Amino acid sequence: MAAGFKTVEPLEYYRRFLKENCRPDGRELGEFRTTTVNIGSISTADGSALVKLGNTTVICGVKAEFAVPPTDAPDKGYVVPNVDLPPLCSSRFRSGPPGEEAQVASQFIADVIENSQIIQKEDLCISSGKLAWVLYCDLICLDYDGNILDACTFALLAALKNVQLPEVSINEETSLAEVNLKKKSFLNIRTHPVATSFAVFDDTLLIVDPTGEEERLATGTLTVVMDEEGRLSCLHKPGGSGLTGAKLQDCMSRAVTRHKEVKTLMDEVIKSMKPK
Amino acid sequence: MSLPGHTKCRTEYIRPKTALLRKIRGSRSRALPDRALVNCQYSSATFSTGERKRRPHGDRKSCEMGLQLRQTFEAAILTQLHPRSQIDIYVQPLRGVVSLQVLQADGGTYAACVNAATLAVLDAGIPMRDFVCACSAGFVDGTALADLSHVEEAAGGPQLALALLPASGQIALLEMDARLHEDHLEWVLEAAAQAARDVHTLLDRVVRQHVHEASILLGD
Repeated sequence: MAAGFKTVEPLEYYRRFLKENCRPDGRELGEFRTTTVNIGSISTADGSALVKLGNTTVICGVKAEFAVPPTDAPDKGYVVPNVDLPPLCSSRFRSGPPGEEAQVASQFIADVIENSQIIQKEDLCISSGKLAWVLYCDLICLDYDGNILDACTFALLAALKNVQLPEVSINEETSLAEVNLKKKSFLNIRTHPVATSFAVFDDTLLIVDPTGEEERLATGTLTVVMDEEGRLSCLHKPGGSGLTGAKLQDCMSRAVTRHKEVKTLMDEVIKSMKPK
Repeated sequence: MSLPGHTKCRTEYIRPKTALLRKIRGSRSRALPDRALVNCQYSSATFSTGERKRRPHGDRKSCEMGLQLRQTFEAAILTQLHPRSQIDIYVQPLRGVVSLQVLQADGGTYAACVNAATLAVLDAGIPMRDFVCACSAGFVDGTALADLSHVEEAAGGPQLALALLPASGQIALLEMDARLHEDHLEWVLEAAAQAARDVHTLLDRVVRQHVHEASILLGD
């Protein structure tokens, strides 16, 4: 009976739950799904992380290569993110060139990296004007059940924390780079941006961490990226229903709490990893 | 004379993480009137090999792998039961071999993809004739080896990729490269077949356990 009603009138079905201040999967309006993270599972990548937010699964692999620094910034390296939403994660995606959603997500991650200064690009420079590191961060969604931006940001952060770069020295005579694979060091991660996404229902109600179904029924979305000192790195509100200033403030305070939860989880996982 | 067959059941040396399946009903320009169309796509993650792959889709190896998977599964899936539909199988290996050569041996990748895709097809509820279990095998120093690791593949001996339908013992796909004397073929084939049967035992156990758990959850 309930399943039939849900198919015919999904929005009404949802409203019945929202009236009681809860959601069909039993969560409260401000509650996140169970988050799990697995760091360092891909041995062929220089750093990797797998994040599961309920059913949404995103894996991030970071590979480091050499490149010549840009001419207008000779002492900076590059961080190149790319989000891939393949057809295997959801039937809404087709194979072929990246669709709109994947491109928007890629741009969002690029903005987060740039704005929050997770890594100082100067740290990636080996020899000014000649050689620098370029970090290719590839995020692949394995299962799409809403809230892809939060999962991607978390996966990126965890993978970058896992990256170990070997020591590189430039040989004076041959001016070739010599890589010392035995001496590896972690990246210097300066800030820890954490994203919190909200969906707007009926122009008034805000729910946190929307699932795929909730995203489809929502009238608007909002993503807030906070770092540990309560600084806003990015605010992403692509159209949709309007929000008052007060509601926005509520979202920011929820984002601050979420940041603490995520940071605790990540620190726990990193501590439990055996040193290589 | 019997050659010892080393069956190394290395679970997930290469790990295709997800093979997902969709059934699309409705008209497609290539729809077949009497059976389903099977479409397989293989794309490796850019971080899955030693050097970052710049074109994960559409390159020759991915196309070839997709074609091999399609041919394997067309033999196993009961396509007559779903006319005018399309079955899509997407395989995405996340971690692969660290390759230092341009020509990368991929018998192990194929085997892992087939085993993962079998489970995915079963999970999607698409009727199949039988499990499809695959394994690679080779011939090194007079010994037939099953489930070659990267080092063994790089040794340059002959390699065989075998996909088997275990119940009937029928071979769905067999590919071999490099030279192998016909006397040795039987041993190598037997090593691969035995390893494929071991994989079948494992897959069968896993599927039964999963069904058992699912039926408990449904409260049967």
